[in-house]
Amino acid sequence: MWKALMKLGPPLAKSDVLLSSEHLLHQQLRTTFVVKRRIKPFLAKQGEPPKKLKTRHYLYDLVKNTNVEKKSDIEVILTSFVEDLGNMGDKVTVRPNYAYYHLLLPGLAVYATPENEAKYKNTETTNVRHFSSPRALHVIKALSRISLSIIMNKDSPWTLQPWHVKTSFRKCGFIVPEYAITMPKREIKGPNLDLEGKEFYIIVTVNKMETVKVRCQIRHWSTDITNRLPYNEEFWKKPTELLFADDELAKVETTKID
Amino acid sequence: MSSMAIKTLGKFIKPGIFDKGTGALLPEAYKKFYKEWKLTEPTAVHYIPEEGKFRRDEVTGEVRPIQNHPIPVIYPKEAHEQMWGGEGIVQGFQIRDWRRRRVPHFWMPHLKRSVVYSEVLNKYISVVVTERTISLINSNYGFDHYLLKTPACDLKALLPLTLKRKILQELEKGCPTYQNEPDKQKEVYNKYKQYLSAYTSEEIEWYGYSFPAACKKIEASIEAQNKPVPLKHVYRTQLIEKLKEAGIKETTEEVAVGSATTWLNKINPFAKET
Repeated sequence: MWKALMKLGPPLAKSDVLLSSEHLLHQQLRTTFVVKRRIKPFLAKQGEPPKKLKTRHYLYDLVKNTNVEKKSDIEVILTSFVEDLGNMGDKVTVRPNYAYYHLLLPGLAVYATPENEAKYKNTETTNVRHFSSPRALHVIKALSRISLSIIMNKDSPWTLQPWHVKTSFRKCGFIVPEYAITMPKREIKGPNLDLEGKEFYIIVTVNKMETVKVRCQIRHWSTDITNRLPYNEEFWKKPTELLFADDELAKVETTKID
Repeated sequence: MSSMAIKTLGKFIKPGIFDKGTGALLPEAYKKFYKEWKLTEPTAVHYIPEEGKFRRDEVTGEVRPIQNHPIPVIYPKEAHEQMWGGEGIVQGFQIRDWRRRRVPHFWMPHLKRSVVYSEVLNKYISVVVTERTISLINSNYGFDHYLLKTPACDLKALLPLTLKRKILQELEKGCPTYQNEPDKQKEVYNKYKQYLSAYTSEEIEWYGYSFPAACKKIEASIEAQNKPVPLKHVYRTQLIEKLKEAGIKETTEEVAVGSATTWLNKINPFAKET
């Protein structure tokens, strides 16, 4: 079959299309063009209609192609909270295509005209959700999804402190200051293998405003390799029981995620 | 008298489209639109016009007048169903290499299907546009502003012109689409009412029609005005009046129509005889 095909046309590598030094863009580029005449048309006499064009006056040189040029950013005012962008009333500068298709057409933003600026000046008073920062909702979503494993010592005694949680967060890539962590009211002491793999809640406050419940599990770890517990694979997918049957923090109302 | 007028003094002036046939019946409002659409110079899209009246040659010091010849642009019939934002097809020649003869080339606009939102009509419209259209909408702060600000010579296609007429008609009625939200209705009306001052009610009615469509419109309106009355109706009334004059009794009495005395009943052999 392939032999027959080879007879039909020259092999691709030999054809001079790909190997030629000339550039391939002789085909039509379907974009906006600004052209210029290479040869100037005849001057018309005063008060008379312009003279007829000859074929040579249709010889054009491309001046610029506006579709290829980078377009400048545009300013829009948000009409509601947009994740990773800003609150209602915020004036943001974004790429024009993103602004048109993702903000202006869905009605999440309006053009930054003087009238709109005056209209969306004092939006703090309106009963629209405001977040402490553009990334706040993103962070809340991420924290509500994870199951944080707090690695504690299996040999020497300890009591769970906020700095333990802070360190565990740092291991997962979250920088959480200690004052933002609300610990469970009951003390958690160890080493106690009953605690292993049981869930309890802590509350993290983002920017001293939004709160989010984070699931935590205690895992015991020993420096002695023979003493270590086997690794629990994909523990975040497995259902576990609560550490405290009536966890107070589990019932606390936190910032809603829509 | 200017020199141009003297030249055309004894000449036969060829009748234009508004001088003959149905075109002569068209109102002044349509003629105004047509002038704005076809006889106004559009903004330069495919070339950069030179500014000023004269230019001095840098080398020779020779002074020459500047005359801008616009680049001829083709607008195919498909363009009337789309929104190209003033762009068109440029047909010309290219010299791709100094050793080669010139070759014909078509510079085509880049078309894509997109969505525009009209605030006055409160509608999302799926249309084929160019990148230039979208950037014009953005620079004019919205689709409605773009249509209402741009003259017909730059909109060119019939689709945006028709939409412009619909928007103007909607504004004239006071935005009935927002009937359920009076606050919003007032806000939208106040936002765009400035554009209404440029048109009279008749001009809005005749805006954005092609010449054949306008002819059809006026023909239909004339036909509706003098609708022919069937001669049998005329003769019947004439006859009744004549009979009344003669004083015949039956003319004043109402004749029962339909019911039991139809001709079909008379034929029916099974019908009960009363």
